[in-house]
Amino acid sequence: MATHTASLFSIATGSSDPIYRQLIEQVRRFIAAAVLKPGDILPSVRDVALVLAVNPMTVSKAYNMLETEGLLSRARGVGMLVAERRSAIKHDREHLMRPILERAGAEARQLELDPAAVMTLFAKILEEYK
Amino acid sequence: MKPLIVEISGLHKAFGKQQVLQGVDWSIEPGKVIGLLGRNGAGKSTLLECLLGLREADAGASLVYGEVATALSDHVRADIGYVPQQSELFSWLTPLQLLDYFKALYPRWNTAKVDGLMQRWGFGGEAGNKQIGKLSGGEKQRLSIIRALAHDPKLLVLDEPVASLDPVGRRDFLHELVDGVIERDTTVIFSTHILSDLERVALDVAFLQGGRITLQAPLDELLESAHRITGTGAALAGLKFVDEIRRQQDAGGGVSILARLSGAEAVALRAGPELRVETLSLEDLFVEVTK
Repeated sequence: MATHTASLFSIATGSSDPIYRQLIEQVRRFIAAAVLKPGDILPSVRDVALVLAVNPMTVSKAYNMLETEGLLSRARGVGMLVAERRSAIKHDREHLMRPILERAGAEARQLELDPAAVMTLFAKILEEYK
Repeated sequence: MKPLIVEISGLHKAFGKQQVLQGVDWSIEPGKVIGLLGRNGAGKSTLLECLLGLREADAGASLVYGEVATALSDHVRADIGYVPQQSELFSWLTPLQLLDYFKALYPRWNTAKVDGLMQRWGFGGEAGNKQIGKLSGGEKQRLSIIRALAHDPKLLVLDEPVASLDPVGRRDFLHELVDGVIERDTTVIFSTHILSDLERVALDVAFLQGGRITLQAPLDELLESAHRITGTGAALAGLKFVDEIRRQQDAGGGVSILARLSGAEAVALRAGPELRVETLSLEDLFVEVTK
């Protein structure tokens, strides 16, 4: 069980992703990559707000949504903890790829490419990065 | 519904023949942190001045805590902090003399906060005793912010508060907003062109354009819903959106629409091969909305 500091997070302004979305995405990734493990304590809303210089309401919003999703749980007097996992991590990792692949899919449709050609290209890219 | 902190209706203001405010309606609820956006010359300063009753409007009214802005009682006045764009601070005084002078005018004055800010924001040494007229633009602006925060206002109005601050000064200011202001549930209205700062702290944005508030929304919702849809005139002619902000045609016959879409609408549009559907950053949005 580890306690994490607010420097865990980073945000980018000038993005079309609102800051609370960026925070949610980072927590999801950290959990999927086991940087955040079940029982780990997240930095407080106030600390995150101060370190990132963002509105505390934005940080609370991200934490609350992650709690609703079941990724975080609130412990009285302690703060936000990473919840115990119910599903396999592998599933989460695949889930994280989905938005990027969806965008690639939309792009392929716009370019009116043949699905088989796209799959071949993707297989080739995966090969190149091995 | 919570009582409104500011209630502006039908505000008009012209300077000579130039119409600046042309019927502004604007309501602000307590605890909101609102960024006021608009092009140079859109009338943001004029609006903020009329809001506070510092400038007489030609028509319409601004109520602050239910009182007419041009005739505020002392106790409402004591709840307001204001940082003007051009600081009209008393140039013959020193920062320490200025703060002593204002301290006497307010029933509430947070001496510990003032002393802390003076130390942290560079007035601890010599600068505290230098004539204000001889301070740099950034120093004057920092002093103006300290003065506005000194009495723990419940409503803070800032007109381009960070325009002459460097990145470190801007970050210091944001920290103070996050730590000492927003945490106390203060209502904050600020105009700025520094969108990266606005994104960090503002929960709502309001656009002043053509003398009116043309768009006001929670920033998160706006970023998530605003899309630019481009395609040929033929492809877009039949498309109508409930929340269409703007539609324009370029010389080549292409059409570009700015609209707020629901998640389902955006997915459905993306599936079509002939359209380009993009989300926008706040900067893109500013450019699109104020065109």
